[in-house]
Amino acid sequence: MNATSHLTPQEIVDSYRVTFGDGLVEAKITERGEGTKKVRGYNIWLRFRRDLFRPAIQKLIEIRFPHLAVIAGNDLGSEIELLYIFSVFYGQKFGEYMVTIGVRLPKSDLTIPTITDLIPGALFSEREKQEFFGVTVTGIPDGRRLFLPEDFPQGVYPWRKDETGIPPEMVKNLWEVGRPKDRPAPPVPEKAPAPQGKNEGGEAP
Amino acid sequence: MKIPSSFNRSLWVFHLNTGSCNGCEIEIVATITPRYDPERFGIRLVGSPRHADVLLVTGPVTRKMAPRARRVYEQMADPKVVMCIGTCGQSGGVFFDSYNLEGPVDQVLPVDVYVPGCPPRPEAIIFGVVKALEKLERLEAQQ
Amino acid sequence: MSAEKTKKTIPYTVPIGPVHPALKEPVMFTFGMEGEIVKTVDFAPGQTHRGIEWMGMRRNPVQIVHMTDRVCGICGIVHSLSFARAVEQIVGIEVPERADYIRTILHELERIQSHLLWAGVAAHELGFDSLFYLAWRVREQSMDLIENLTGNRVNYGIIQIGGVRRDISSEQRPLIEKGLAYYQGLLDKMATLFLEDSTVRMRCRDHGFLSENDARILCAVGPTARASGLNMDVRQDYPYCAYGDLDVKAILPPAETGGPRGDVYDRIIVRLLEIGQSVEIIRQCLESLPPGEILWEPKMAKLLAACKKAEGEAIGRVEAPRGECMHYVRMAGKEAPESWKIKASSYSNLMSWIPMLQGEQLADIPIIVASIDPCLSCTDRVAVTRNGRSAILTKEDLTRLSREKTRRMMQ
Repeated sequence: MNATSHLTPQEIVDSYRVTFGDGLVEAKITERGEGTKKVRGYNIWLRFRRDLFRPAIQKLIEIRFPHLAVIAGNDLGSEIELLYIFSVFYGQKFGEYMVTIGVRLPKSDLTIPTITDLIPGALFSEREKQEFFGVTVTGIPDGRRLFLPEDFPQGVYPWRKDETGIPPEMVKNLWEVGRPKDRPAPPVPEKAPAPQGKNEGGEAP
Repeated sequence: MKIPSSFNRSLWVFHLNTGSCNGCEIEIVATITPRYDPERFGIRLVGSPRHADVLLVTGPVTRKMAPRARRVYEQMADPKVVMCIGTCGQSGGVFFDSYNLEGPVDQVLPVDVYVPGCPPRPEAIIFGVVKALEKLERLEAQQ
Repeated sequence: MSAEKTKKTIPYTVPIGPVHPALKEPVMFTFGMEGEIVKTVDFAPGQTHRGIEWMGMRRNPVQIVHMTDRVCGICGIVHSLSFARAVEQIVGIEVPERADYIRTILHELERIQSHLLWAGVAAHELGFDSLFYLAWRVREQSMDLIENLTGNRVNYGIIQIGGVRRDISSEQRPLIEKGLAYYQGLLDKMATLFLEDSTVRMRCRDHGFLSENDARILCAVGPTARASGLNMDVRQDYPYCAYGDLDVKAILPPAETGGPRGDVYDRIIVRLLEIGQSVEIIRQCLESLPPGEILWEPKMAKLLAACKKAEGEAIGRVEAPRGECMHYVRMAGKEAPESWKIKASSYSNLMSWIPMLQGEQLADIPIIVASIDPCLSCTDRVAVTRNGRSAILTKEDLTRLSREKTRRMMQ
């Protein structure tokens, strides 16, 4: 555990601004309070230039070893934005912040270095981004498919909004399927009135 | 619900999950707990399809699970009854337009008894199994 | 024993499961072993992938809340709650205080039933079927309470964007208090049954180790991380719903039982103590339930119109029974969200299977695998490989081996 004591959100943003200057493209702090006392919870959103991605993560590890929640992504037309969602300072009552580090990758060059050497728990999330967005994570120790079946067509990336997304012919509307024709007719007449015991829905007894 | 008077066999049930959310699973397992106690009818869950008479299928069939579902069905010995539990397997439920689903269970396996609900109550599942029992008796009488 | 099964069991290794839901999902284990000891571990999920996030990007938020209830049946309202909180942050909705408290009460009731479910599953894996039946019978009390409050046992359908859909009336309060008193009286008995039993101690102590450093770098969450000594709990760290008014501390294995050691036994302790904590929280919430409305906007057309105009991104985090559940939502002025990412708690916990299973015996695998409380419909299948002799075992074989080991140890 590092010796950095608890910082306020503005201090975190300022220390990033000092280190990275213009490389920090955008910084935002949002807050939310719920319940009667409306104790505040803070989210810090930082967006960096692409080449400063690994230094930004290393700086966060120096502040306090973060917990990587997940890597989310956005398809913004000509770019794909990857958001690495971390949380720091857990263990202190009402003192945890969510820090989101975002980078934008142009679709012509969709590569990003791996962070599994710094945070091994990122492996699942990186593999998922590879198959759902088509991002190539360089240096990943294990790049196999994670959730999609092996016979899923290559080059189809479900979460993209452009032509590599799911084509309409792959979507199956399950409710349009009718009653199967090759089964024998049921032995009860079709129009039997529902007797008392036929409450097969979710009704309370 | 009435047990037919020619009740002379105990039903062994095998459960197959083809990608469901687990709600139906919990209700199936809750059915065998002492509160509902289907063991008094002789119904019990077994771990291998070769021992079973009734196949309980839950979930909308994902693409990976469809060939396996067919294989499990072929491994069961006649006479057998297939029950589809839950709305996902009957019309898709909330997952009605997905790219990874093969469709309702009756497109993959021939289904005999449908138990709708999301998830169906344990009482409904027991009722469905008793219906399956009646059908099984009829099938055996025909053989 | 198992090498001959390699070819024959491939057809149905996947969908096998004797009795319990946690591992009833398609789980395939592929082992290569040296004698009886596990050497290396590998992963391959993908069975229950239904394309939920993709479907969500075509629907409006109210329809998505209906769908998030069914992401996982065991984690009742956590997914709906995180999604609703994220959307509320984007649209700028102020949730009424009474709704926050009702959400908290249901959240804790769900935690009680989920931990009891897990206790039964763990007992079954060890071979104690009578404990399994007892735990599930006791769980029925909380299911009755939940059904009384929400109308259904599983998939509550009570969360709406901006509040809850049903209120707690004054007739229902004595019922809740009776249920709480029942659980409070039962807790000591369950603790004795689970923790004092010598066979449980023999099977679970010193097995399935996850050190604190491993838990931190593999990003484990929930009771798995707390049993290893990490002090993380979203209710304590990042206030949401009514937890900002209460004083919730993360439960770590106490000093009386030897402090956090990171094995299976510690995870049992953490979960049983959390049931007691939930009972306390529900009682505090009932006492200070504020009056008022329960929905920010009862008319759905106005709610959808407000959501359609909203722009921005937000994160909704809650503490599910298994860990931290997080939804990231981004809306851009259309009816459907532009991006949506679900992180279920088991997603983070699956990677911790690797250090836990290495060096363990074959017969210990079921209880170690079940000890992180995997909710695989939130995630997916697992394949475990090791070097040396390779074999494919069905889940039935594993459970049988585990129960035989208990019988051997009891002699």
